[in-house]
Amino acid sequence: MATAALARSPRGARRKGWRPWLYAAPALVVYLAFLVYPAARSVLISLTDWNGITPTMDFTGLDNYRRMADDPVLGLAVKNNVAWAVVTILVPMLLGLALALALNSCLVRGRALLRTVFYAPAVLPLVTVATIWGWLYDPSAGAVNGALRAVGLGSLAQSWTGDDAFALWAAMVPAIWVRAGFPLLLYLAALQNIPEDLYESARVDGAGPWQRFRFVTLPALRPTNYVILALSLIESFKVFDLIYALTYGGPGRSTQMLGTWMFFNVFAYYEAGYGAAIAVVTTLVAVLVGIPYVLSQTKD
Amino acid sequence: MAATLTATPDRAQDGAPALRRRSRPHARTRAARMLAATGVLAVLAVLWFSPLLILLSTAVRTAADFAGNGTLSLPHDLTLRNFPAAWETGRFSTTYVNTMLITVVKTPIGVFISALLAYALAKLELRYRRGVMILVFAGQTVPIYIAIVPLFMMERSLGLTDSLWGLLPPYLAFGLPFTTLVLQQYFRWLPDELFEAARMDGAGDLRIFLQFVIPLSLPVLVTVTVLDMVATRNEMLMALIILSSPGHNTLALGMLNFSGTFSTDYTGLSAGILIAVVPILVIYAFLQRWIVGGLTTGAVKG
Repeated sequence: MATAALARSPRGARRKGWRPWLYAAPALVVYLAFLVYPAARSVLISLTDWNGITPTMDFTGLDNYRRMADDPVLGLAVKNNVAWAVVTILVPMLLGLALALALNSCLVRGRALLRTVFYAPAVLPLVTVATIWGWLYDPSAGAVNGALRAVGLGSLAQSWTGDDAFALWAAMVPAIWVRAGFPLLLYLAALQNIPEDLYESARVDGAGPWQRFRFVTLPALRPTNYVILALSLIESFKVFDLIYALTYGGPGRSTQMLGTWMFFNVFAYYEAGYGAAIAVVTTLVAVLVGIPYVLSQTKD
Repeated sequence: MAATLTATPDRAQDGAPALRRRSRPHARTRAARMLAATGVLAVLAVLWFSPLLILLSTAVRTAADFAGNGTLSLPHDLTLRNFPAAWETGRFSTTYVNTMLITVVKTPIGVFISALLAYALAKLELRYRRGVMILVFAGQTVPIYIAIVPLFMMERSLGLTDSLWGLLPPYLAFGLPFTTLVLQQYFRWLPDELFEAARMDGAGDLRIFLQFVIPLSLPVLVTVTVLDMVATRNEMLMALIILSSPGHNTLALGMLNFSGTFSTDYTGLSAGILIAVVPILVIYAFLQRWIVGGLTTGAVKG
C-alpha cells in the first residue's frame, strides 16, 4: 500500500515523464491513424455532396443530416435496428439465463459438453452463419419448410427470407442462435460465484425455490445483467454481416439496418456524403450509449 | 463443478429435520429427476446443433439421394465426393491460406502492441492515463462502417488496396480496444512489490515487462490471442471493401454469395459450408477453455 502510494507520487510521475509514452506509442499511433482519423474524416465527408468516385465535391453544410429526416428507408432502418436490438438482446439473455440455471443445477450431467454445444455457434463467422441459415430457409429444399411439412404444417411453409412480412424475423433467428452463448457463459460464471451459504441461510429462513431465486440469485446477477446489456447494446449498432449476407437488405428494402443502408448509399447509390452522415449519427449514438460502460471500465 | 456435485450429499446428511425425508425412495426420484433434466437439455442441445447435423447428413450423400428422399431423411447413398468438389468450387485453397496468413501475422502484432499500451496504462505512470483509457476503450463502441470510406482512400494512396496486407492496419486498430482493456485489467493485478524489487536490482521498465509481466500474464495473453484470432478470421466488411480480386479473398469473403456459387447443388453447398466450419469448431473445442475464461474474466467487471 505504502509503496504503491509512493510510486504514484507527483515526484515519481515527473521522474518518468515521457518514457511511458514510448510503450503507449505503437498502439496509439495505429489506433489514431486507422480508427480515429478515418472516423473523423467521415464527419468531413458527411458535410459534402461527394459521390464517392470523382475527385470533386462541394461543401453542403448540414444538408445530408437534414435529408435524413425525409428518408423513409432510413426511418425503416431505424425501426428495424431497434426491433433487432430488442429481440437479439432480450431473447438471448433470457435463453442464456435459463440455460445457465439449468447447467448450473447439479441434476444435469455432461454440463461441460452441453456448454460447448450451446456456445459453438458464437465462434462461427457470421457470413457462414448466414449461408447455413439461408440454406435452411430455402423455400424448396430447406430444412425449415421440410420440418413443417413433416409434422403436417406444410401450409405454414414460406419463402422465409423472400417475404417482407417474415424476412426481418427470419434474420433474427440465426442472430439469436449466435448470441445466446455469450450470456450463457457470463451467467454461468456468475452463478458459480454465488456463495452456497447465501442459499443455505435463505433455506433456513424458510425461503422456497422461487424465493431463493428471486431474493438470492437475481440480485447477485445484477452486475452480469449490466455487462451483457451494455456489450449487446454496443454490438446491436454494428449489425452488418448477417443482414448483408442473408437478405442483402431485402426483399425490397424491408430488412435494411443502419449499417447496411449506409453501405448501400455509398457503394450502390454513390451517395458517399449521405452514407457518411448516417454512419456519423449512428456512431454518435453508439458511443453515447456505450460511454457509461467505457467509464466503468476505466475506474481503479 | 466438482464442488457443487459433492456439496449436495453433504447437505442431505446435515440432519436438518426437513431433510430427513431424503431416504431411499427420495434417492430414486432424485435419479429420475436427474435423468429428466439431463434428457431435456440433451434434446435441446441436439436441436441447437441440428443445423450442423443437417449439413453433415446432406454433405455425405449423393445429389440423387438428397433430391429423391428429401432434406430431413437419413442418407442412404453415402459418398465423400462432395468434399473435393466443394473444395475446388469454393476456392478454399486460396481463401484458407489468405485467412491464415493475415491471422497469423496480425494477431501477435496486435496483442504485443496492446500489451505495451496496457503495461503503460496499468503499471507505468502514464500522464493523462484516464483520458487515454477512455479514448481507446471508446473504440469498442465505434462501428467499423464509419471508417470504411476514408480507410479505403488511405489504403489506395498507400497502394494497399486489393492486397491482403491492406487489411493489417485497420484490423490492428479495431482489435486494439478490447485486447488492451482485458490486458490492462489483468496487469493491474500483478503485485507492485515485485516490480519495486526488480527495480531495486536495476531492472528497467522494458526488462520488467519482458521478464515479469509477460511470463506472469501468459494465460490472459493466450486468451486474448485466441479471441483476437476468432475476430480477425471472421471479419468480412473491411475485406469486402479492400479486396477485389478472387485470388486475394479471405475465408469470410469467399463465403459471401457461396450459395450463389453452388446454385442448386445442395450437397456440394453443405460440403463447402462444412469445410469452412468444421476446422473452426474443432479448434474451438480444443481452445474453448481460453475463450470461456477470457470472456468471463475479461469482459466482466461490473
